[in-house]
Amino acid sequence: MRRWVPALLAAAVAGLALYPLVATGYGVRMMLQLFMWVALAQSWNLISGLTGYVSFGHVAFFGTGSYATAILIASLDWPWPVAALAGGVAAMVLALLIGWPCLRLKGPYFAIAMLGLNEALRVAASYFEGLTGGGLGLSLPTLHASVEIYYVMGLVAALVTAATYVIVTSRFGLRLMTIREDEVAAEAMGIDTFRYKLYAFLLSAAGPGIVGGLSARDQGYIEPISVFPLIMTITMIVMVLFGGKGTIWGPVLGAVMLFTLQELVWATFIYLHQLLFGAIIVAVVLAMPRGILGVLQQKYNLPRTI
Amino acid sequence: MPPLLEVKNVTKRFGGVTAVNRVSLALEPGRIYGLIGPNGSGKTTLFNCITGIDPPDAGAIRFRQGRIDRLEPHKIFHRGIGRTFQIIRVFPELTALENLLVVTTGDYGQAQARAAELLRLVKLERLAGEYAGNLSYGQQKLVEFIRVLMTDPELILLDEPAAGVNRTLLNELLDAVRALRDRGKTIFLVEHDMKVVMGLCETVFVLDHGEKLAEGPPGVIQADERVIEAYFGR
Amino acid sequence: MSVFITPAMIGQVVISGLLAGALYAMVALGLGLIFGVMRVLNVAHGPILMLGAYVTFWLFSTVGLNPYLSLLVSMPLLFVLGVLLQRFLVRRVVDAPELSSLLLTFGISIAMVNVAQLAFTSDLRAVEFLTGSFVLGPFAFSKSRVVACAFAVAITAGAFLFLQRTRLGKAIRAVSQSREVAQVCGVNVQRIHLLAFGMASALAAAGGSLVAVMVAIQPEMGGIYTFKSFLVIVLGGAGNYPGALLGGLLLGLVEQLSSLFLTTQVNEAVAYVLLVVVLLVRPTGLLGGRTS
Repeated sequence: MRRWVPALLAAAVAGLALYPLVATGYGVRMMLQLFMWVALAQSWNLISGLTGYVSFGHVAFFGTGSYATAILIASLDWPWPVAALAGGVAAMVLALLIGWPCLRLKGPYFAIAMLGLNEALRVAASYFEGLTGGGLGLSLPTLHASVEIYYVMGLVAALVTAATYVIVTSRFGLRLMTIREDEVAAEAMGIDTFRYKLYAFLLSAAGPGIVGGLSARDQGYIEPISVFPLIMTITMIVMVLFGGKGTIWGPVLGAVMLFTLQELVWATFIYLHQLLFGAIIVAVVLAMPRGILGVLQQKYNLPRTI
Repeated sequence: MPPLLEVKNVTKRFGGVTAVNRVSLALEPGRIYGLIGPNGSGKTTLFNCITGIDPPDAGAIRFRQGRIDRLEPHKIFHRGIGRTFQIIRVFPELTALENLLVVTTGDYGQAQARAAELLRLVKLERLAGEYAGNLSYGQQKLVEFIRVLMTDPELILLDEPAAGVNRTLLNELLDAVRALRDRGKTIFLVEHDMKVVMGLCETVFVLDHGEKLAEGPPGVIQADERVIEAYFGR
Repeated sequence: MSVFITPAMIGQVVISGLLAGALYAMVALGLGLIFGVMRVLNVAHGPILMLGAYVTFWLFSTVGLNPYLSLLVSMPLLFVLGVLLQRFLVRRVVDAPELSSLLLTFGISIAMVNVAQLAFTSDLRAVEFLTGSFVLGPFAFSKSRVVACAFAVAITAGAFLFLQRTRLGKAIRAVSQSREVAQVCGVNVQRIHLLAFGMASALAAAGGSLVAVMVAIQPEMGGIYTFKSFLVIVLGGAGNYPGALLGGLLLGLVEQLSSLFLTTQVNEAVAYVLLVVVLLVRPTGLLGGRTS
């Protein structure tokens, strides 16, 4: 089994790299979105899957990255790749500001704090009208760069997945997992849980920040409601729970499966979106809390690098 | 020679209940101490106070002359105090080996070597790659025990090491504890099994209803009327 | 915004704060019951309040039922819903790690909101019932607020009497303190769980019915109440039922006071900032509760 996995990966990468040459503009934008979801899900997994600290407000980082990038492009004329990176940095700064007080709390209280985060941010975006264009949104100069963005988005998705692999197989990753397993024991065993939670949180914000920026560039127009939608956090959560939180490929699997279902099936049931996601979350939590890969991992005693 | 650990008038309250009430004790290096008392007398709470999990409401705790009662648990750990728990707290989804590695900070290679060595010491080397949650009770207990030893702490707190453990394993654990003492380590254990306490400890402290009732060599404690009354009298 | 703040303004704001606070306290008590008894963070609490508001709205617009009478419908109806949710869904995760119950109730909450969107559409609804204000000297209080507060006080008092005086109420408090000890004393813990969830839902429904007269009703209205209820529980201390009262009043006061100095938009963020500050400074709550 081990032998054909790298070959399969290489084939997939090659296929994805060549895809824009044969696909329509619509196809490219769709795959671009898929990459975005992979990056988002994978990033959410870094904090919530590994440490068990559920971040209900993760879309805040996406929105922050979107706005930061958009402002840099619109007002200061920065090139979009650099602006997107800056979006990632902005998201990390936000993560530091929020994480510093909130991660000292124990899991459930952190979750509560994150629940309120969305509301606060949506209000803030509207409030700073002068800078962000308020409720009316922000427009970017037109640019047709979907193919380039496709590649960069894909790169980000790959990097976050690779980062997850490195983390999960390192002592750093083990420490993150002890927080999930038994935080009190971890503290007693000399692990500075606050510091590790903070690192994980910061890392988990970078991805959404960057793809938020890339997405803003691709859409060409952003407004508060489009970049801080609750459904985005929900989708991230469902993808990771479904695929297998705490695993490496689980978020990828979840993103691919749910995105495909979304495009093929649920586009017709647009009003049932949230309901279906809610039902999936309930079903997963009750029936397979470890997600698909988690269940397989347990059943066939697979290594953690799945 | 100043004591290794000094607990001075430590009090801990939970709501209306005073779990530990002005308890004072001192531990000299290189000896084995016991902490006994009826259920609910505050033994584990006292351990929690020493290790920083439940900071005391009053009093002071000094380790190697430095105050530790306001420190966070992980800092206390790095000062040289390790502990096991009454209810085993291994990390179930980490392997036995990973449970050991995760507590170390230095060179990863050295840590792996030490972990392998300790696993061999307790004859668990073939289970190194097994998820700790899948191990038997006794095996988990051993893993928790050697996990404490990974960073070579000066003071080791053992919370009911004999609970639920068969005779053979228990004897191995007790031998290991004595060997640690011979190397200059200090061990402080909470235990209900009187035979273990009497056979192993050099000095025994008795807690009752959160207060220190008595202190002395096992033989003296055993005959102390107040102790007998605390256990059986009321 | 006036620069000069008169004593009359302060008085107005304080009393407004208390009026609002009573409502917060009642709703938060429900959340606190679930958390205290089952250690479950019920993210679906707000959506249940939302359903209570819709019950009131539909009864008012179809048969013209007095919104305050509709309490007699919304509370029992959602009590039953709460019991069903607990029996078939929440019960399965009560002993699982807290993360599971959090995610489960989160899933339930988003499903409920979507169902409401499908059934009722997202159009804003309103119950035009008690308009105008009571004027008392320099103070003016909207009638609906005052009446809502009166009902909230009555219902909360009733809840407390239940907890203090009745056998079931004492059993609830016993289970909140220690499930094992309560079991050993012969308490049927499963039934207490059902009762607690039902009661909590009824309290949320009452909140919904009362605010239906005051705010715009739409499927997503519950979220802010979930968050504020959490905040109240944090302020008062987890598992500390009287603390929820104080926490609710405090939240009401802080909100109204800050409206004197801040614009309404930023006002919403005040609750959030308050939460973070309290969690950092005194995580056990102002009156003390459990942290574990």
